[in-house]
Amino acid sequence: MSNGGEVGRGPAASVNTVIVVGGGSAGWLAACRIAAQAKRTGSGVTVKLVESDRIPTVGVGEGTWPTMRNTLAKIGISETDFIRSCDASLKQGARFVGWTDGLPGDAYYHPLNPPAGASEIDLAPHWLGRSDGSGASFADCVDYQAALCDAGLAPKTITAPEYAGHANYAYHLDAGKFATMLRDHATASLGVEHVIGDVTRVNQSDNGDILDVELHDGRRIAGDLFVDCTGFAALLIGGVYGVPFKSCRDVLFADRAIAMQVPYDREDDPIACHTISTAQDAGWIWDIGLWTRRGVGHVYSSAHTSDDAAEAALRRYVGPAADALSVRTINIDGGYRERFWQNNCVAVGLSAGFIEPLEASALMLIETSMDAIADRLPRTRAAMDMVARQFNETFRHHWLRIVEFLKLHYVITHRTDTDFWRDNAAAASMPDGLQERLDLWRHHSPAPQDFSHAREVFSWPSYQYVLHGMRFASHYPPVGAAASEATMATGLIARNDRLRADLIARAPRHRDLLRSVREYGLQRV
Amino acid sequence: MSRIRPLDPAHHGALRFDPGIVASTPRFVQIGLSEIVLAAADMPLCLAKDAHTGRFNLIALLGLVEPQNLFCVDGRFHATYCPRALQLTGFRLHPDGVAGLAIDEEDPALGASGQLLFENGRATPLTATIADALRRLIADLDAARDLIADYAARHLIRPLRLTLRRSDQHEHVIDGLYTIDQDALSGLSDADVVILHRADRLAPATLLSASLTQIERLCQLDAARHQQDRFHATF
Repeated sequence: MSNGGEVGRGPAASVNTVIVVGGGSAGWLAACRIAAQAKRTGSGVTVKLVESDRIPTVGVGEGTWPTMRNTLAKIGISETDFIRSCDASLKQGARFVGWTDGLPGDAYYHPLNPPAGASEIDLAPHWLGRSDGSGASFADCVDYQAALCDAGLAPKTITAPEYAGHANYAYHLDAGKFATMLRDHATASLGVEHVIGDVTRVNQSDNGDILDVELHDGRRIAGDLFVDCTGFAALLIGGVYGVPFKSCRDVLFADRAIAMQVPYDREDDPIACHTISTAQDAGWIWDIGLWTRRGVGHVYSSAHTSDDAAEAALRRYVGPAADALSVRTINIDGGYRERFWQNNCVAVGLSAGFIEPLEASALMLIETSMDAIADRLPRTRAAMDMVARQFNETFRHHWLRIVEFLKLHYVITHRTDTDFWRDNAAAASMPDGLQERLDLWRHHSPAPQDFSHAREVFSWPSYQYVLHGMRFASHYPPVGAAASEATMATGLIARNDRLRADLIARAPRHRDLLRSVREYGLQRV
Repeated sequence: MSRIRPLDPAHHGALRFDPGIVASTPRFVQIGLSEIVLAAADMPLCLAKDAHTGRFNLIALLGLVEPQNLFCVDGRFHATYCPRALQLTGFRLHPDGVAGLAIDEEDPALGASGQLLFENGRATPLTATIADALRRLIADLDAARDLIADYAARHLIRPLRLTLRRSDQHEHVIDGLYTIDQDALSGLSDADVVILHRADRLAPATLLSASLTQIERLCQLDAARHQQDRFHATF
């Protein structure tokens, strides 16, 4: 695949050309971010994207985080265009059904809004003091977004400016259409050069840097930095550099997914404004609503169930509509690279790692990677080594935290009905850090101090929503009614109740809002 | 409260229309493209989003905090120019009505004073005049929307946060209004300036901005109406 012997450029050589290898969501998002940043700063950096027209994209990731709003704005794509061209809908969080005990009525929300007053006060002890297990759920007590989801109401109105709303929100999208939209924008508006061809050889210099990728027709595409977006093939980070892959299958057991696209029965069927994640005997089913269809899939552990049984469970979940539908299978080799940036090559997307989509982390990780790369693009080859060290350290941390947070959903379950759930709760499968934190959180509410990074991908509110949603046994000291914090908490909870009532009365139905956006568009201001 | 009914001689045979009488409560009224130069002499002209479409409408502000038309005194409009939509609040286009009209039977301009809509059971020429005025108004409102859509596409619109403060420091903030972004207008390329000018779309932008000085007039009218300290407006 590669050869050496050619002399590379010196440490002072500037980084002028970035080559993104691979298309799909990761490749085009990477190209757009770097090209948009170059345009904004006038850095003169040029971007080329090399893509085979014979390799289909995986199309993973139909759920985003709220970060996508900022990413799209930075790239220069209007929210109206995005919603129209990607069949996108708005997402206000996730509803986890059957994860706690699997009994009827078992469900909780992980909304995208932080708890009320999160920058000033931790409402968890106040909720615990009020509820004693019998009052409003944690998510309902500290925020109004779960009620909006239950009522099928949108997080914004048609009069809200682009990328703003009365509640925090992300998106559900059609991954194939998303990549196409990004490609069109990258080539038409951001000056990205689209090179179509199969990479047959990678030429390296003496120091191991990639000089160019050679295509089947002999063309050599040279660059200073190479972004590996070649998906599971990991052509550069794996194929050229052989960076080891760190499996997390010992912690997260899901290794397979089957997916189907389910049309709506009627044109006016409600569109869920949240992801619905329903626990199964050996995994869980995702259910997301787009403008034109639902995307439904079963993530499962092949060690705990057969492919046939998993497909039968998915078809049972979908109902008669599934009879005419076929499924697509995706293998999940859960884990990530030990290093993401090696020499002048950085892996982004599936080439960097993959994990079950329980908290929709795939697109977020691409965005976060590109924030780090595009906003701090090394100016010289010498600077690249330092930036690479920072990048590797940061993303090792992020992956560890993501694995840990996903495991949290499984490990504190009360379910013991199948081997899958029993094995998941076994101490042997629990990361050390998580066990320590759980011991702490029995008596202390999750707080910013519990995490070492200033910018955690999952911060303490997310842990609170899952822990309290799953009735994790918490024993916090009671807050005296006369304490000043108690007055503040009472005020915030009462304000939250008023906001909920107001929004329930005036927020539009999710489908109605999407229809208005498609018909009239959103204003920029 | 409104009660819309197709215009018909059996129900409305004795009804008269007095265009000098206007509703006393609206704080703003939509205006058309051709009205900008006229309305700017009296009222602040702003943009507000339509609740159903989110698109910008061009409006003339008639009041401030209270739901009150400050130009309305004893039911009549007192200003150099009265917006057409305000004169025609009692009428709608309706295929089942005489002359293609429906009326709001609760509108103050329709009653015992003014000109008859029917004489001896037959529609007077006034009904056709009103229907024609309504059609022209609708087209004019659409033309204003097109103008504003062009401004929006060129990123020439900014939110207008209107803060009203009395001498006791009591403060009201009026959100949901928009205006021309003068910085963005100044930053237009030479080519865009020429394009806008040739399309007669540059002068209206300047007029809209200049009309904001009429907020001061609204503050004066408000103080006179309520016999209290004047608002001091910042925006």
